[in-house]
Amino acid sequence: MNATAGLNPAGLDLASIPERIQSEVQRAIQRSIKGVEYISTSGPSLGSTPKDILSVRGTMNLYHYRPLADEIYRVPILIVMATTNRGYILDMVPGQSFIEFLLKRGYDVYMLDWSAPKPEEKSLRMEDYVLDFIPDCVRQVQRDSGETDVTVIGYCFGGVLSLLYGSIFADGPMKNLICFTTPVDFREMKLFQNFSDRRYFDVDHLVDSIGNVPPEMILSSFEMLRPASRAASQVKLWENIWNDEFVKSYRMFDRWATDTLPLAGEYFRTITKDLMWDNKLYNDTMSVGGLKADISKIKVPILHAVAEHDHIVPYDAAKPLIQKIGSADKEEVMLKGGHVSLVAGANAIKRLWPKLDSWLCERST
Amino acid sequence: MADKSNDPVALWQHMIGEMEKGFNSFANQAMASPEFSKVVNQVGGVTAGAQKQLSDLMEKYLLGLNLPSRAQMVGMAERLAAIEGQLNEIKALLHQMQGNSAAPGRTHAAAPRPPRTKRPPSAGGEQK
Repeated sequence: MNATAGLNPAGLDLASIPERIQSEVQRAIQRSIKGVEYISTSGPSLGSTPKDILSVRGTMNLYHYRPLADEIYRVPILIVMATTNRGYILDMVPGQSFIEFLLKRGYDVYMLDWSAPKPEEKSLRMEDYVLDFIPDCVRQVQRDSGETDVTVIGYCFGGVLSLLYGSIFADGPMKNLICFTTPVDFREMKLFQNFSDRRYFDVDHLVDSIGNVPPEMILSSFEMLRPASRAASQVKLWENIWNDEFVKSYRMFDRWATDTLPLAGEYFRTITKDLMWDNKLYNDTMSVGGLKADISKIKVPILHAVAEHDHIVPYDAAKPLIQKIGSADKEEVMLKGGHVSLVAGANAIKRLWPKLDSWLCERST
Repeated sequence: MADKSNDPVALWQHMIGEMEKGFNSFANQAMASPEFSKVVNQVGGVTAGAQKQLSDLMEKYLLGLNLPSRAQMVGMAERLAAIEGQLNEIKALLHQMQGNSAAPGRTHAAAPRPPRTKRPPSAGGEQK
């Protein structure tokens, strides 16, 4: 028996019990007060880094963020957001904004963000995204910045679009490519594969009958990957509702996660058939608008950041990117975190952001 | 030092975490089966069709009541957002005209931009 002074044989610190009870009572009171506050107030204002809208065309929005440094790197950055989610995940609140971080480190930042496609935009195809929206934004970045070279950063499916763009426009003007959690081998997205099993999932019927794929369906498919996590996070919220920082962070991420965008019907049909069913990007048979999209043609420096615990894009789905890309200067970095915490929040501030800065600053002059 | 295994709050949190992991893992195994895909897609196909029909019906009903539908409200909100965006562009242009110090070709700059001369720390650039 190794009980020490103040501990009973079971290891319980008897002296601390009154303090513990007092602390729990205080937290219970705080929970009641903060719980009412939580219901009656809105969350923090997100995406508030000052920016100018350069272009709005249907679902496409191009922003330019106002520089925050006295001197900036020559090469501007164009961030291509995933088409299922809003870009403010990269611009949460001051001090937790990836955009603000980049601006303070001296980068000139543009973002291609998406708004919900309207019913009449259901006919938008993969070609519209890869051969029209992205090249149009790149041209506008070139014109606005006065620079020919552009660094492209793609998050999740924004990374897939960036890869398709980069492989078709392999001669430039993309100077560097950074992908965050970007899938290439869609066979390895096991649960999504099963949800869209071609024997049972009639994508033609779905798109022909409803047009754009509703955001509720996209959100459900993400939530089904971890069906208990929403309920568990509600319990954690209640436990920590006395903690302002926890609540602020919870509200930011929860708002973003549930703010899912619909997907244009034709675009969704192509994703399902070409990527989920035929795995064309991995098999080097992908083409967009009749143009072959072979990622081995990409020769620019590339950094691929993947998350150790990514349940949306498992590592096996993302791994082939670096293997298949044609660049000599290529690096994959696996960081702790999940699909979202890789790019936003305390984990990202500590891990991804400094890594990206040290990699990109050398390639931005 | 108090043993964490005897802390009821820590035990509760651990239990919730383990239950979450266990349930997720169990559900993922169940969802990986072809039967699950078959059932979900059959139900989903019917639901999607029914939702579409209901939505069309509701649209007609609201039209009959001379009320705007959700789609119209969303459209109006987007239109307002677009107008706000255009106002921002006009504001930026006005600032530019007032300052008249932007580089040629820069149509949206509200203020003069910093020089593109920054160097990385390895090349002697300063990190602030």
